[in-house]
Amino acid sequence: MKTPVKPALEESGDAMTRRRVLSWLSGFGLFGSLIITALSNLIFIKPRATYGQPNRFSIGKPEDFPPGARVSLDTRRVCIVRDGDKVAAISTTCTHLGCIISVSETGFSCPCHGSRYDQDGNVTGGPAPRALPWFQVSLAPNGEIEVDKDTEIEAGNYLRV
Amino acid sequence: MSNQTTTSPWKTLVALPENIWRSIFRNPLPSSDLGRASTSFTNFFLHLHPVKVHRNSLKATFTLGLGLISFFLFFILVVTGILLMFYYVPSTTQAYDRMLDLRGTVAFGIFLRNMHRWAAHGMVAAVFLHMCRVFLTGSYKPPREFNWVLGMLLLLVTLFMSFTGYLLPWDQLAFWAITVGTSIASYAPLVGKDVKFILLGDSTVGQEALLRFYVLHVAVLPAVLSLLVAIHFWRIRKDGGLSRPAEEDALPADAPAPVEVISGPAVVMATSAAAAAAAQPVLQKRQYGIQGLVRGPFTKVGNVPDRSVFAWPNLFMAELVVFLITVAGVLLVSLLFNAPLEEPVNVMHPPNPAKAPWYFLGLQEQVSYSAFWGGVGIPTIEVLLLLIVPYIDRKIVGVGRWFAQERLLANFLFLTFVIVNVILIIVGTFFRGPNWEFVSPW
Repeated sequence: MKTPVKPALEESGDAMTRRRVLSWLSGFGLFGSLIITALSNLIFIKPRATYGQPNRFSIGKPEDFPPGARVSLDTRRVCIVRDGDKVAAISTTCTHLGCIISVSETGFSCPCHGSRYDQDGNVTGGPAPRALPWFQVSLAPNGEIEVDKDTEIEAGNYLRV
Repeated sequence: MSNQTTTSPWKTLVALPENIWRSIFRNPLPSSDLGRASTSFTNFFLHLHPVKVHRNSLKATFTLGLGLISFFLFFILVVTGILLMFYYVPSTTQAYDRMLDLRGTVAFGIFLRNMHRWAAHGMVAAVFLHMCRVFLTGSYKPPREFNWVLGMLLLLVTLFMSFTGYLLPWDQLAFWAITVGTSIASYAPLVGKDVKFILLGDSTVGQEALLRFYVLHVAVLPAVLSLLVAIHFWRIRKDGGLSRPAEEDALPADAPAPVEVISGPAVVMATSAAAAAAAQPVLQKRQYGIQGLVRGPFTKVGNVPDRSVFAWPNLFMAELVVFLITVAGVLLVSLLFNAPLEEPVNVMHPPNPAKAPWYFLGLQEQVSYSAFWGGVGIPTIEVLLLLIVPYIDRKIVGVGRWFAQERLLANFLFLTFVIVNVILIIVGTFFRGPNWEFVSPW
């Protein structure tokens, strides 16, 4: 080594010695691997596939829902509304804390904390912070109505059948 | 060695039981101070304890034994929990049947479940009351700030333990309490939705959620809790023992200065004596090595009145008494009352009202006004304030006394927080009926 070596190499204040650079690098390496490990655990624990109910499902032919019907499918957590020749699917999961709401005369009401909604799912009382979402409804090739709970649409958008 | 070789096989045989005994228990029951001192050193189960403790820190009216009660309840929960695991299956189709089996077929099944449930309720209460004790006696002040923080983490982990255990019976109460609870989590800004999804492993409470809560409840959280408890206990000694009422008689004016440790940062023990020494001008500095300190965190060298007593038997007897009272209490309650079990889960019909366990009813009451502020905003602010308290309120006055005059404001604010929460819990428990509307309990 040709470069002159400073005296008291290790402890010489803020000079960037080789040892210091190496310790910083190993420090970053160790700390970095710790973060990467933690992140991989987070990725691991977030499921890529769920085993519960699918969010896209068919609910039967339009004839199963006579005009004026408001049928709450509790297992699917969705209420099928038929108004004349128009069909829509409104969520029956309370926007407050996820309880299942039931169909009432004036619209919907939640048994858990007393939230109330009108026929279109707009909040009329209680602690619910926002209106019930409407889900995308489409006609499958086999003539059945298909609900896609992953796609929310604007309230008042009906499907003509 | 030569002696050994000459002993007859017969003598070896005669001495065998004693030799085996001596190899396990090196020391006889202590009859001298030296023996009493060495019990804490030589016994694996006792070496967590100091050799000597201050007489005043043993006062039952000061600590009320709440920390010990919390720990012993945790111990009971681990034992009964492991036993219950032999018969429990975390499956939505089997869990509830297994609860019924505990009632009907498993020997002592109902009793073990009662013990587990009531000890869990008791632990939440004991940990909370322990926090109140520490606050109202000013015991969180330096040098005990970090142990207060650890205690707060322990309270949160205890609540989470209880929350995860709540789902496992898979009855109506469990299902809807977890539905409501995880929805509260989803109101957290930015990460809320992901936290809920990761907790449940699905978009709704179901099999994945049951499995996840089970793993958290029986493996992850107990490990975290045990580690935190170990550090919490270790810190008690490193922070100079429990805070305690002051000595009855003041130090004589010409007493030598308390110990000053010079052996390097690794052995600095922040005793209250050292804190006092830092506050007053020290007349005479002495230097002692680690040997002078290892006998106890507040060893006094010189002719300062020694108010400490040997841990054996004083501290151990006190601990034994608290343990026996705790076990007796849990046994008695478990004999008298059965742990509730509602109808099996019916996803279609939430009970009305759907109520969380009592210690979350204050939260649920807040949530009924505003989901974000009641469920996330205010609790977060409360926890952060409690965590930061020892770093704001640093003046070392009124430590070791209940309701010290000098701490009037701090105690007033804390008691307000406690009373408001107790009132919310009472309202949520007794004054809320169907649709969470106000009802009168009488």
